[in-house]
Amino acid sequence: MSRYLILVLLNLPLIISGLLGSLIDYKTNKISKSKYIFLSLLWLIILLGLSIAEPFYQFLYSHNLTETASMSLFDVIQFTGIIYILYMANRSRIKADVLERRVQDLHQELSIKLSNHKK
Amino acid sequence: MNMSKQSFKVALVIPAYNEATVIAHVIRDAKKTFAKTSFAADVIVVDDGSRDDTATVARAAGAHVIEHVINSGSGAATATGLSYADSNGYDIAATLDADGQHDAKDVLNGVERITKDEADLLIGSRIIQSGEMSLLKKVGNKGLSLITLFLFGINVTDSQSGMRIFSRRALEELRWKTSGYEFCSEMLWRANQVGLRIGEYPIKAIYTDYSKAKGQSNWNGFNIVKVLMRQRIVELFSE
Repeated sequence: MSRYLILVLLNLPLIISGLLGSLIDYKTNKISKSKYIFLSLLWLIILLGLSIAEPFYQFLYSHNLTETASMSLFDVIQFTGIIYILYMANRSRIKADVLERRVQDLHQELSIKLSNHKK
Repeated sequence: MNMSKQSFKVALVIPAYNEATVIAHVIRDAKKTFAKTSFAADVIVVDDGSRDDTATVARAAGAHVIEHVINSGSGAATATGLSYADSNGYDIAATLDADGQHDAKDVLNGVERITKDEADLLIGSRIIQSGEMSLLKKVGNKGLSLITLFLFGINVTDSQSGMRIFSRRALEELRWKTSGYEFCSEMLWRANQVGLRIGEYPIKAIYTDYSKAKGQSNWNGFNIVKVLMRQRIVELFSE
């Protein structure tokens, strides 16, 4: 099996998960339409980039624009790892943001309620 | 607005952090100015975790005091004050700085403009008549207003002004995420997103040695720009 195909297959679940996640967020009114389009485009661009990696490399090689060796299995794992880390980092940041907002809201509510008791 | 002027309930929100020295004067001045009018005005001080006696002094001066348990920033303190105004049915709210740089008559002028339905969110601009402002401050404020225009497409002369007047609709719909000084620009962005009408009117700023010492440095401006840019990018990926 081609290593480029392995790269696509390894990353496909992440990309589908990203696309589905943004669709669910949009349908449940958590994100706006423009943000949904932006996130979907982002994941599709990643998919497109991975899909054309092999023909792009062959084009560059045949036109003497690169002399590097074809992608190794290690490169495949490395690329997948980078995309996975980006995916996880973004999910974690979103969760941290939501938590921070909730703590702020809690602090605000608490302060107002305490002030009403001191009236 | 379809109410008579007499029935307007106005919340004067003052976010404060370590302002025990001047807060009583600011509260009394605001109360005195509004006492001569038909508005039913209350002063609400949000003490943002001060280490001095700000809360005690403000309470003694006749303000309703909301105390933040921990210091959370000017944006968070303003949000708390406006949330209180919203949940207690105020028709109009105004925010002003606790360091005494704002004239209560300018607040009254802004409140009257809101009753005439001029805008949903009015910014008191210190730049339109920027007589007493130092050149450095003027450059810093204009720079941040330009950044606000560049990042959010909102064209105002003084995006960092602490004097703002809110209609009932703005109180109900306006929310922001940042908690520091950068909320000033973010608030305009959010107001635009929910379709609020943003307006400006000239105010004078009273610069004393105290207010000059308490004011933001231009270096803090760079931090504001950094946070705003991050917020603009993060917004693309957030829920």
